[in-house]
Amino acid sequence: MAFISELTGRPVTDYDGTRIGVLKDLIARPYKEFAHPVIDAIVVHGESGDIALPYADLAALLSAAIPLKRPAAGIIAYEFREDDIRLVADVLDKQILDTDGARVVRVNDIELVRINGNVVVSNVDIGVLGIMRRIGLEKLGRWAAHRFNADLSEGTISWEFVEPLTHDQSMRLKVPAEKLADLHPSDIAEIISDLSRTEHSDLLHKLNIKQLADTLEEVEPDFQTSILNHFSDEVVADVLEEMSPDEATDLLAELPDERRQGLLKLMETEEADEVRQLLRYEEDTAGGLMTTEYVSVFPDMTASQTIEHLRKVGEEAELVYYVYVTDAEEHLIGVFSLSDLIIAQPDTPITEFMHKRVVSVELDTEQDEIAQIVAKYNLIAVPVVDAENRLHGIVTSDDALDKVLPTAWKKRLPHFFGALA
Amino acid sequence: MNKAFTFLRERWKANRWVRRIVLLMSVFGPATIAAMADNDAGGVATYSIAGAMLGYPILFPLLIITILLGITQEMGMRLTLVTRRGLADLIREKYGVKVSLFIFMGLLIANLGTITTEVSAIRTVSGMLNIPVAPFVIGMLLIAFVFITKGNYKLTQGVMLVVSLFYVTYIISAVKAKPDWGLALSNLLYPHGVAWSSKYLVSYLVIGMGVLGTTITPWGQFFISSFAFDKKMDKDTLKYSQFETYWGAFLTDFFSFFMIVATAAALNAHGYGVGGLQLQSGEQAALAIRPFAGELASNLFAVGLLAAAFMGLIIVPLSTAYAFSEFFGLSGSLDSDYQKSKTFYILFIVQLVVAALITSIPGISLFHFAIATQTLNAMILPLVFYYLIKLTSSKDIMGTHANNRFQKNFTTAASVFIVIASVLTVATLVFKL
Repeated sequence: MAFISELTGRPVTDYDGTRIGVLKDLIARPYKEFAHPVIDAIVVHGESGDIALPYADLAALLSAAIPLKRPAAGIIAYEFREDDIRLVADVLDKQILDTDGARVVRVNDIELVRINGNVVVSNVDIGVLGIMRRIGLEKLGRWAAHRFNADLSEGTISWEFVEPLTHDQSMRLKVPAEKLADLHPSDIAEIISDLSRTEHSDLLHKLNIKQLADTLEEVEPDFQTSILNHFSDEVVADVLEEMSPDEATDLLAELPDERRQGLLKLMETEEADEVRQLLRYEEDTAGGLMTTEYVSVFPDMTASQTIEHLRKVGEEAELVYYVYVTDAEEHLIGVFSLSDLIIAQPDTPITEFMHKRVVSVELDTEQDEIAQIVAKYNLIAVPVVDAENRLHGIVTSDDALDKVLPTAWKKRLPHFFGALA
Repeated sequence: MNKAFTFLRERWKANRWVRRIVLLMSVFGPATIAAMADNDAGGVATYSIAGAMLGYPILFPLLIITILLGITQEMGMRLTLVTRRGLADLIREKYGVKVSLFIFMGLLIANLGTITTEVSAIRTVSGMLNIPVAPFVIGMLLIAFVFITKGNYKLTQGVMLVVSLFYVTYIISAVKAKPDWGLALSNLLYPHGVAWSSKYLVSYLVIGMGVLGTTITPWGQFFISSFAFDKKMDKDTLKYSQFETYWGAFLTDFFSFFMIVATAAALNAHGYGVGGLQLQSGEQAALAIRPFAGELASNLFAVGLLAAAFMGLIIVPLSTAYAFSEFFGLSGSLDSDYQKSKTFYILFIVQLVVAALITSIPGISLFHFAIATQTLNAMILPLVFYYLIKLTSSKDIMGTHANNRFQKNFTTAASVFIVIASVLTVATLVFKL
């Protein structure tokens, strides 16, 4: 067993013992049938720059000095392969994905073992001990761990569960899809939010549609849209179909109108219709603006019963000034104001003084129109009904008139303070 | 104290353009935060002593500091936007554990110094408001801790608002004090208008370092890059972000300018200075905002200083903790798991406790602490700059976004200058010149 931090910097000597440089990097080759990559070559930093020497030409690797088997002059330099892993350049000190613990961690050291004449990458060290070793205080670290009964095995991850993440090059190692499939969507969501853009793009493209949909449901809305930008519209449409309709709707609502319409066209008709239905509640329409915290009563009540009822529910309601009258199926049949109610005799049925011709808007009525209606009839709020005249909510006048104020930047404000706190 | 709050609130309501300035500032993003946070209690104390002791000539470094602040903050932001890595991440990945540890220790020392100043400011406030010191300091530290763990955004906003109002009072005070504007503005270009005694020169050097160290901070360099990372800002918005960092740098020193002018007009012009009266207490420093606040100056100063200290008390230890996680953990700097981790709490508490212990050394005023710690900050800067410049100049890392010649040369020259100034400062302090 040896650690990379101990090996690097060791002298590499020629056949006859003359020093040719120091060990700079180790090249490992992954094998499909074996979870641990095997050291295939070393990079030696010599006077005339770096040279890569094949492992086969080394007399020993895990020793105080690294001697060659034959004269350096006769050795053919190692040729790099596509899937080679440079342990120092690509893994040491970098972040990796621990697929077992489903987290992103930083590599403090790399452990090598000798198996049947080969040197194999066994574990990566992500613990404090690795840091201590790097600064030459391993003994102190071991002593302290012993003293405080700390479990040192927690600090290492078997290479089996290591997925290197290289951000300046394309990924050298391909994650087996089944490795990812083991992860819970919320774990994947957490991992990708830890990663940089290029890295999470690599990772996202390894997920299937179902996993992608599940993962998307777990991340924040503005991050969702940035993830979607990695994929073609066709893929996104498939993902949207896979998501639950309300989640898909929320996501689509975040997108620019043009892209949303395009995506809806690409989706299966059935799913698209469902989403379209929900999307009607969006943004500048009555459905998007309304509150459901209104007061409604049944037509068989009297004035005093209504007042009694208001005392109970009034606290919850956003607006008690208008009381709406609905039947058992929630059809809107009338409205009266608080002043109507108070002036009436206590035992008068409310049907006697309620206004039967109610000004209302539909779920998809646009904000401009609502504002006009509110202004025209001098309303404090306007009820929102569907095609069957069933009451769904009310839009208060301040919400309806809000459009004259620039709300967009006001909404942005809380965002950046949130990061501080 | 209540009176001061009422006063602030009334001013807030009555003065339309106070409101406007604050709103204008809050529209801007991270740059504003960085700008506000740069002027913490240490900043207020340093600018106060700079204005009181040295008068207008200390305005001279401000212009260069602003440019340096803008360029270095922009570097940090660009580095993160291009690489999607924090500054600490990159130092660790490119230079390994030993260098990381070295820089982290530097940052830790500088931050401990700054936090000490914040705690010292809280002590000063307790004296000004006649509140017993120990319970007040412990109470504030506890609030800071709860604040960090619970993360109350409304309170953050409230604190920021008080701090920005406090800064605005300096602007109004400076204007009302009718200072010699010609002298003040011309001193931005070249220092003049005083007799350059050797004593003055020494103070100028030390306090100048303090002004540098409180405006450009090591933690600020890590903060801006972590911030860009957390906000998931895009490479596409590079131009906008660059503008914002320059704006932030301007804003920081815009406030600094008026703080110095207000203090210079109120104190330096009235007997304070090298060889004259010494700035010792919060009450004295509060004289600077008297033209605006009148009889309430002392109370208002106390409230403003408290808010500024509280802000620093949160942001600075946070920056240590996050830099630690980047150096030795992973880069998800505002990662919720990390925030729940033992290491995070321990780091945070240890910093606060150590700072509280240092401030209990008797006989050292806030202003002494401020100059000492901010000078220390300045001395550690070149170390951070070295790696910042190296990383952002590397074509391998930055591609087409690598530093241009001006950015590289200006910051390198500035770093060399800071090293020389640091050596001189230490020499003058050691040999008591």
